[in-house]
Amino acid sequence: MSANDERVAVDTADVWPDDADEDEGVVVNWFLSEGSRVEEGDALCEYQVEKVSVDVPAPMTGTLDEIILEEDDEFERGDVLAWIRPE
Amino acid sequence: MAQEEPERRGRQTDRSLTMSRAMVEAIAHEMRDDDEVFYMGEDVADYGGIFDSTEGLLEEFGRDRIMDVPISETAYIGAAVGAAQAGMRPIAELMFVDFFGVGMDQIYNQLAKNTYMSGGNVNVPMVLTAAVGGTYNDAAQHSQTLYGTFAHLPGMKVVVPSTAYDAKGLMHNAIRDDDPVVYLFHKRLMGIGWLPAPDGPKTGVPEDEYTIPFGSADVKREGADVTVVTLGLHVHRALEAAESLDDDGIDVEVVDLRTLVPLDTETVRESVAKTGHLVVVDEDYQSYGVTSEIIARVAEGGLDDLEAVERVAVPDVPIPYARPMEDEVVPDADDITNAIRTVRSNE
Repeated sequence: MSANDERVAVDTADVWPDDADEDEGVVVNWFLSEGSRVEEGDALCEYQVEKVSVDVPAPMTGTLDEIILEEDDEFERGDVLAWIRPE
Repeated sequence: MAQEEPERRGRQTDRSLTMSRAMVEAIAHEMRDDDEVFYMGEDVADYGGIFDSTEGLLEEFGRDRIMDVPISETAYIGAAVGAAQAGMRPIAELMFVDFFGVGMDQIYNQLAKNTYMSGGNVNVPMVLTAAVGGTYNDAAQHSQTLYGTFAHLPGMKVVVPSTAYDAKGLMHNAIRDDDPVVYLFHKRLMGIGWLPAPDGPKTGVPEDEYTIPFGSADVKREGADVTVVTLGLHVHRALEAAESLDDDGIDVEVVDLRTLVPLDTETVRESVAKTGHLVVVDEDYQSYGVTSEIIARVAEGGLDDLEAVERVAVPDVPIPYARPMEDEVVPDADDITNAIRTVRSNE
């Protein structure tokens, strides 16, 4: 198995606000940088949908391997925010 | 549990926070430690503070300790003063510092003076937080930066953070202080989605508690040719100006005051003794303000060190609503750059 196969995507759809009408968001703040160790539940970043700010928790403990969507990037619901390599 | 320490320390260096989150982290920590700490203000509970100053606190602490209040600054700031005198540690939020007028008797005549007027029989261990600053077209009643007004009135300590790291340490210190502290946060530094911050204020912030003592200015950039003394948002604009002058061989030192009362005159004087050239920058009105106070303090103690001086502040007009006009009166990095060039023009 290659190293890439072990990585897990952080999915923007997982914490989409229930009452949002739109399927577009924008990344507002990253709180961790690539290579950081994360624990399940740590706030990775926040994005905004309509006027609601959403915190994205780490889905598992591991390393923040790659950030796909940087601050100010716009995206569609379901796009991959980042990849985590589990411990 | 001691073996967990190295790992936790390692994680602290990874994490950066916005200024609002750093403030909230300190408040939550103090509220967990001390049941007497509570927060009251307009839209601080369900809304989380219109500038995210209390985001998430209601969920953990409930409505008895995170309290929405009616729009009556006199009533709730007065209530906070009374609670503080009775032994509690209130934090009261003045939503926009511009609203100070309706609550000023409570701020100026009660909060600031009661320790003195009671001969030390009561103290007022409360924090008054307030949002300051413009640059987002909110007009003359919602855009002021009233550093001078609060620093001028004796009896209150006045705190103005410019980074998340400073904001957390200063907030811990403010809540623990037995005297009234006015904690002024600039809206544009908070890191909220609809009001983007410059890159500077988001910094690494340790998860553990720490305090930053009042009266300790921070040299945010070392330099040999010109001292820029500033605070709040304009620390970042001064750093941008300093960066742009680097190519021209002008080496700029940026001193972040961090607190106005007490004021770290010594750090300012030491810097001017080194550079000989002083530029003071703030976002308050120019006359009778921070810029004049800093220049006076340097002149009093070190006139011989001072070769040239410039100040950059808002001209004595209410902040305009129109975007081009607001941009004209609020100092930006170019205004600071020009002032630095002017102060060096006799070289």
